[in-house]
Amino acid sequence: MAMTARQRARVSLYVQIGIFIVAVAALVLATDWETIGNSVFNFGKIGPMFPDIFLVGLRNTLIYTFLGFIVGLSGGLLLALMKLSSFPLYRWLATAYIEFFRGVPALLVFIAFGYGVPLAFGVSWNITVIVMISLGMVASAYIAETLRAGLQAVPKGQLEAARSLGMPQWRAMVSIVIPQAFKIVLPPLTNEVILLTKDSSLIYVLGLTASQYELTKFGRDGISSLGAGLTPLLVAGAFYLIITIPLSLLARKFESRSARTKR
Amino acid sequence: MNDVVNSSAGNTGTINAAGVSIKDLRKSYGTNEVLKGISLDVAPGEVVCLIGPSGSGKSTLLRCVNLLEQPNEGAIHVGGFEATDPEVDIDKMRRKVGMVFQQFNLFPHLDAKRNCTIAQTKVLKRSQAEADEVAQHNLERVGLGHLSDRFPDQLSGGQQQRVAIARALSMNPELMLFDEPTSALDPETVGDVLSVMRNLAKEGMTMLVVTHEMGFAREVADRVVFMDGGVVVEEGVAERVISAPTQARTKEFLRRVLDPTHIDIEE
Repeated sequence: MAMTARQRARVSLYVQIGIFIVAVAALVLATDWETIGNSVFNFGKIGPMFPDIFLVGLRNTLIYTFLGFIVGLSGGLLLALMKLSSFPLYRWLATAYIEFFRGVPALLVFIAFGYGVPLAFGVSWNITVIVMISLGMVASAYIAETLRAGLQAVPKGQLEAARSLGMPQWRAMVSIVIPQAFKIVLPPLTNEVILLTKDSSLIYVLGLTASQYELTKFGRDGISSLGAGLTPLLVAGAFYLIITIPLSLLARKFESRSARTKR
Repeated sequence: MNDVVNSSAGNTGTINAAGVSIKDLRKSYGTNEVLKGISLDVAPGEVVCLIGPSGSGKSTLLRCVNLLEQPNEGAIHVGGFEATDPEVDIDKMRRKVGMVFQQFNLFPHLDAKRNCTIAQTKVLKRSQAEADEVAQHNLERVGLGHLSDRFPDQLSGGQQQRVAIARALSMNPELMLFDEPTSALDPETVGDVLSVMRNLAKEGMTMLVVTHEMGFAREVADRVVFMDGGVVVEEGVAERVISAPTQARTKEFLRRVLDPTHIDIEE
C-alpha cells in the first residue's frame, strides 16, 4: 500500500525518535554510575576550590582574555589594513603572518614565546606581559581576517565620498570606513572573544604562580589535590560557560540588530 | 527669466565660483579607451549638463575632474589648481570641489548634521559650534533643517540626496559636480532635488551635471554637452542642442530619451 508524502514524513519521524531513545538507553545502561559519581560528579569534595577559583581563576581568565583581545584587535586592525594596502610588501608580510599564526597550534606559540623569547633576548618578562603578547599575537591573525572582510564590506562609495570632501586617505579610513566596518564585524568579533577565552586556558604551560592561575589551572590542580577525580575540571568548564554563553547571546543580539537596520 | 537674474544678485555673496578647463583628456581602462581626447571649458558660475548614452564616458569625465579617476593624458585646471599636475595637493583641491553621487553615499553611521560637519571639523579645522551652524544653514538651504538629527536610513532617497548636497555645500565649494543625482530616486522625490539644484544654479554656483533629466538641462543649464563613445559629439546653448540638434547621433539619442514609447511602437 502506497503511503502519502505526509504519512512517509510521520513514519520517518517516529523512526528517528525511536533510534534516539534506544541510543540514550544503551548509553545509560553501559555507564558505570558509581565510578562516574565519584570521579566526575563528586561535588561534595570541591569545597576547597572556592572562593579562589572565582576570585582568582575567573578574574585572571577575564584579564588574560581582555588583554589578549586588546593586543589582538590593534594588531588585527594593522594587519587588515596592511593586507588591503596597495604596497605589495605590506600585503605579503600580513599574509605571511596571518597564515603562520592561524596555521600553528596556539599552544606552540605560548611555549615558544614563554620560553624562547626570554632565552633568546635575555629578558625576563612579567607573566602577564607574556600572556598578553602571545595570546594577542594568535588572536590578531584571526581578527585580521575578520576585520579585512568588514573593511571590504563597506561600500566603495563611502571612501569616495570622504575623499571627495578633501579627507586624506587615513582620515577617511579612521572617521568613515573603520567605524562602519566595526559595526559590520561586531558579531564575528564577539565570536573571536569566545575563542580567545578558551585559548587562554592553554597558558598553563607557562608555569604560573598561584596568584596567576586561571580557570583551567585551577581545574588541573584540583584533580591532583582534591581526590574528586575529574570533578574540578567540570567546575572549571562551568565557569567558562558563564563567560561564553552571555557572549554568544550578545553576538546573536548584534546579528539580529544589524539584520534589522540595513547597512 | 528676469527674476532669475534678480534673485541671483542677492545670494552670490557666499559663492566664490571657480571655472574648469579640460584639455585633450584621455582615460583608458586597460585597452578600453573611455575618454578619447575631451576638451571642455566651464566658466565661473556657468551650469553645464553632460548628456549621452550610458557608457559614453560622461561619469568618468566628471570623476576625473576631482581625480576620483586618474586621467592618462591631458590637463585639467580647476580654480587655481592644475589637477593633472603630479605635485598637486589633491586633498586641498577637493575641498573646492563638491561632489554629489548617484547613490548619495551618505555616511550611514552619522546623522544628517554630522554628515555635514565631519569634514568641516576634520579637514577645515572649524570648531564644532561653527561647523554646526554652517551645517544647519545648508540643511535649511535644501529644505531639511527640521530633519538634522535623522540618520540616513530614516530619510527618503530624495531627502538623502539633499543632505548629500548640503554636505558638499558645507565645505564652501567653488564648483559642484553632480553624477546622475536623480537616477536612483523615486520619481516623486526627483523634483525636490532638482529644485535645490536649480536654486544653487541661480545663486551662481559653477555646476557640472551628468543627467538624463532633459527638462532640467533645458531649463537650468547654460550649456549642454552631448557625449558618445568617449568624445564630445555636440555642444551648445541648452535650448538649441535639445530642441534643434545638428548631429545625427544627438538626434537619435534625444528621440529615444524624450519619447521612448514612440520608438517601441515604430519598431
